[in-house]
Amino acid sequence: MASLFRAYGRGLGALLILIATLWILALILVPLGAMIEQSLWWKDSKGDITLQIDRLYNDMATLQLDASGESDAAKKAGLEAQIAQKQAEATALEAQETNPPKTYGLANFTRMSGLHFYIFIRTIIYALMVTALALVVCYPMAYAVALASGPRKAIVLTVALIVPYAINELLRVYAWLMILDYRGVINGILGWLGMVDLDNRGWIPFLENPSAVFLAMIYTYVLFMVFPMVNTLETLDRNQIEAARDLGASSFRIHRRVIIPHAKPGIAVGCIMTFMLSAGSYSVPAIMTRGQGGDWFSQLVYRQFFESNNWNMGSAYAVSLLVVCTAFILIMMRLFGVGLRDIAK
Amino acid sequence: MSTANDSAGARLILNIYIGLFCLYLFLPLAVMSAAAFNSYDYPSVTQWRGFTLQWFVALAHDGRLIQGLLNSVVVALGVIAVSIPAGLAGALILTRLGQRSGTVLYSILVSPVLTPGIILGISSLIFWREFGVPGGLFVAVMAQSSFIASYAMLLFLARLQRQDRTLEEAALDLGASHTLVFRRITLPFLAPTAFTAAVVAFLQSFENYNTTVFAIGGEWTLVTEIASRLRFGLSPVINVVGVIFVALTLVAATTYVLLSSRKKAR
Repeated sequence: MASLFRAYGRGLGALLILIATLWILALILVPLGAMIEQSLWWKDSKGDITLQIDRLYNDMATLQLDASGESDAAKKAGLEAQIAQKQAEATALEAQETNPPKTYGLANFTRMSGLHFYIFIRTIIYALMVTALALVVCYPMAYAVALASGPRKAIVLTVALIVPYAINELLRVYAWLMILDYRGVINGILGWLGMVDLDNRGWIPFLENPSAVFLAMIYTYVLFMVFPMVNTLETLDRNQIEAARDLGASSFRIHRRVIIPHAKPGIAVGCIMTFMLSAGSYSVPAIMTRGQGGDWFSQLVYRQFFESNNWNMGSAYAVSLLVVCTAFILIMMRLFGVGLRDIAK
Repeated sequence: MSTANDSAGARLILNIYIGLFCLYLFLPLAVMSAAAFNSYDYPSVTQWRGFTLQWFVALAHDGRLIQGLLNSVVVALGVIAVSIPAGLAGALILTRLGQRSGTVLYSILVSPVLTPGIILGISSLIFWREFGVPGGLFVAVMAQSSFIASYAMLLFLARLQRQDRTLEEAALDLGASHTLVFRRITLPFLAPTAFTAAVVAFLQSFENYNTTVFAIGGEWTLVTEIASRLRFGLSPVINVVGVIFVALTLVAATTYVLLSSRKKAR
């Protein structure tokens, strides 16, 4: 604090602190807290409240009838007191019916249905598979960009990697949708060759296979895997590779003992970003499957919010997803020995 | 380079791999672009019915897409207005903090980058509903800014690490006020980064879908409008949007390559 004021002066220092505080509170921490709070309560909509209210009104109607036929003033007053009491009860129950009391607890998490839990686990496994595949596919590319080509070629390759990224994520998914759709490019080519019969719906349903989502997802998030690896590999002293080769190491051994150990932080960061993006991706599965293939968990979250209109349950699902992603990040940081400052390039 | 020692076979395999990888990157975009000029009303390249520009005309007359484009620009400008000051403040504070308190603050400020986008959208939606603000362009700006400000901050931090502080200290010693030093030395030093950060923020905001779809409520941006149309089937008008993006990006990328290779040659 004191060092801030010394560096920027009182007025400016205070302004900076105010802006940063607003950012932290209004954009990061309090919204997160609000979501967690929302996931921890629910409103019971008991069907029997309605029944109780109906019964009370029935009783009141009977009492009313009795009271109108009653000539004894004392008895009539007694009946009317009873009516007033029942009316008060009914009003209280009606208030509960329209605005049921909040109940706090973990039920939103434990109430997740078997199917939804299965989809949750499957999404985690899918995201892990996407991450592993992306790592395998991207490693040679990162190696080529960082080490195996001259500076000019490296620039061209870097741009080649950035260009698809600069084009909308959604349009990149759309391109794959076009290719893999029932009447898409691949089925069209197969139709030309006479291998499938498009007129009789004899196409191959690529989109109903989970690997279609994998393909589009790796395509969409490739950059987040390649760039962290390129960043770390660029700092590798090439003499190390030459030395290893001079000492008779095979290419495979050089990769395993020299290059990959050096790339470790980059691999960790790439995996963290790819896992987080794919586990939380709504765009790719929603567009690629169009409800035909298996759902991803993010689609369930979306439906809880905008179709079932159950924000409490939806928040609980979102929190579960956040917990998994955070755990993955912590595990990777531990395993690869990287700090938070390495992650943010 | 080290590749001189690689065996010719290994190099060949690597080059083939790079070729295939680039094919994987660019073929889908090429297919998407080509289909925009096909007069067949389902986006296709295998069913070629002749060259046409009719889908460009259709896009120009598509009120919702045009409105979506405008909304996207409004949201992106809003995001710039929120995230550049926030990112700048965060970076200026972090560079002057001690190791320990700095790490905690840093973790909080960077955490949105590592949070799945849908969660940022959801938490903003819930938070702003407490104030009676329903999902819409404003909530979308807030949700996107939460992580785009972090990106801006990282850019500013990287720049500040290369700053020579003696300049500021000298000015202070000579009696300049803090505000004057900030305005005449710090801000000019950071100006190029602010420009880069604004461009990055604009692009990030413009293409964002996962966060926006939860925060946007009944309104729409270009991207959410495209997504909701894809549910009902494909249309070449979407391909036209794609072509425009591809063209703009290619122009920018070529300019960049030419500029950077000229810099190298110098």
